[in-house]
Amino acid sequence: MCLAVPMKIVKKDGFSASAEADGVFMEVNLRLLDDARIGDYVLVHAGFAIEKVDEHEAEETLKMMEEIAGLNEKNEVR
Amino acid sequence: MDRTHGIIRHIRSLTPDDRKLKIMNVCGSHEHTIAFSGMRSLMPENLEIIPGPGCPVCVCPESDIIHAIDLSNRDDVILVTYGDMLRVPSVKGSIRAQGKNYKMVSSPFEAISIAHSNPDKKIVFFSIGFETTTAPTAAILETGVPDNFFVLSSHRLTPAIMEVLVKDADIGIDGFIAPGHVSAIVGADAWNVFSEKYGIPTVVAGFQADNLMLGIAEILGQLKSGKITTGNVYAGVVRPEGNLQAQKIMDKFFEVSDVNWRAIGHIPGSGLELRDEYSGRDAKKAFDLEEVKESKIPGCICGTIILGKAYPSACRLFRKACTPKTPKGPCMVSMEGACNIWFKSNLSRQDDITGAVS
Repeated sequence: MCLAVPMKIVKKDGFSASAEADGVFMEVNLRLLDDARIGDYVLVHAGFAIEKVDEHEAEETLKMMEEIAGLNEKNEVR
Repeated sequence: MDRTHGIIRHIRSLTPDDRKLKIMNVCGSHEHTIAFSGMRSLMPENLEIIPGPGCPVCVCPESDIIHAIDLSNRDDVILVTYGDMLRVPSVKGSIRAQGKNYKMVSSPFEAISIAHSNPDKKIVFFSIGFETTTAPTAAILETGVPDNFFVLSSHRLTPAIMEVLVKDADIGIDGFIAPGHVSAIVGADAWNVFSEKYGIPTVVAGFQADNLMLGIAEILGQLKSGKITTGNVYAGVVRPEGNLQAQKIMDKFFEVSDVNWRAIGHIPGSGLELRDEYSGRDAKKAFDLEEVKESKIPGCICGTIILGKAYPSACRLFRKACTPKTPKGPCMVSMEGACNIWFKSNLSRQDDITGAVS
């Protein structure tokens, strides 16, 4: 029910937008996220963009993961 | 793969030897990832990952399903809802088996199109779900709906049920993995009540196995250090304050109400109904729908499973009388229901949740 997929906004006209993921295009409504701009990655749920994807924050999380995974390897060497 | 192994090692190093810990997820999609990744088999013995109330289809009251069936049998109505709702069993059967005029949609916008193309019918959108799914329904109301469009609201609030869980001493939750897409709407700060008032680490996680395990590691780290706070390992999507625009639109159309949860009972302040100003769109008022008393499904322990007091495999109907093709209880219907997920991912346990009371 709460499934949502990240898609890139490629066209915007008021609250209507077209978004793309893996070559699939979809009409997406921006009523819940009207400051989304062309080029933004947004999370789409039930035809609505519900939140922007912040690439910087996503990378930070990945770094956190690498650190945690790496940290333990160092402990093992020690 | 190295990264995954590293996180698992980290989880093992943080899990105590001398006591059991229970971490609960409250999102069907989280349970899906946990089950299909085989993650539980990699966790240390003292760490239990328990599925909680993450399936809105499962907790939708039988009364609303009976109303939906009755409405779809009226000649002047077309009932419209999400696919899973058509198959949920009730004492009257399911909408698909016993209803007449019904249509499945994947977006509330389709319900509006149906209303426009059937001006001589009343279109009742049976709108269920947690905050993620409430937001799109509020958005179509904001956009404007035709006069022949009504909402049968069965929306539920995630923090409200989680508060019931933490107050139940039988469950004994040590940490929550907070639902990623509910959090995108309500914000990570919505879970502060659990870390601050109840001292339970609550960490927002995404839907990849590695990300979920990172969330589990963060909960364990907090438990070890004693510094309890709200964590967020899905910060690429979830902001502390959430989606304020969505919250504003939801608040405009919906107000908090006291509602029933299937197999669980009445929980004050845990549901959403349309505000009085929009009562003309409220199917319960427009069609004078009166609450129907819930029936008991013989042998079904969905309520116990949803509350984290038993695993699906502890139910005597599981995999026998109750399967995804012949669901006896609501938790076997949707791909977010714990029983459905455990059936399809071939999960089973010889043991039950520690301290299970079922």
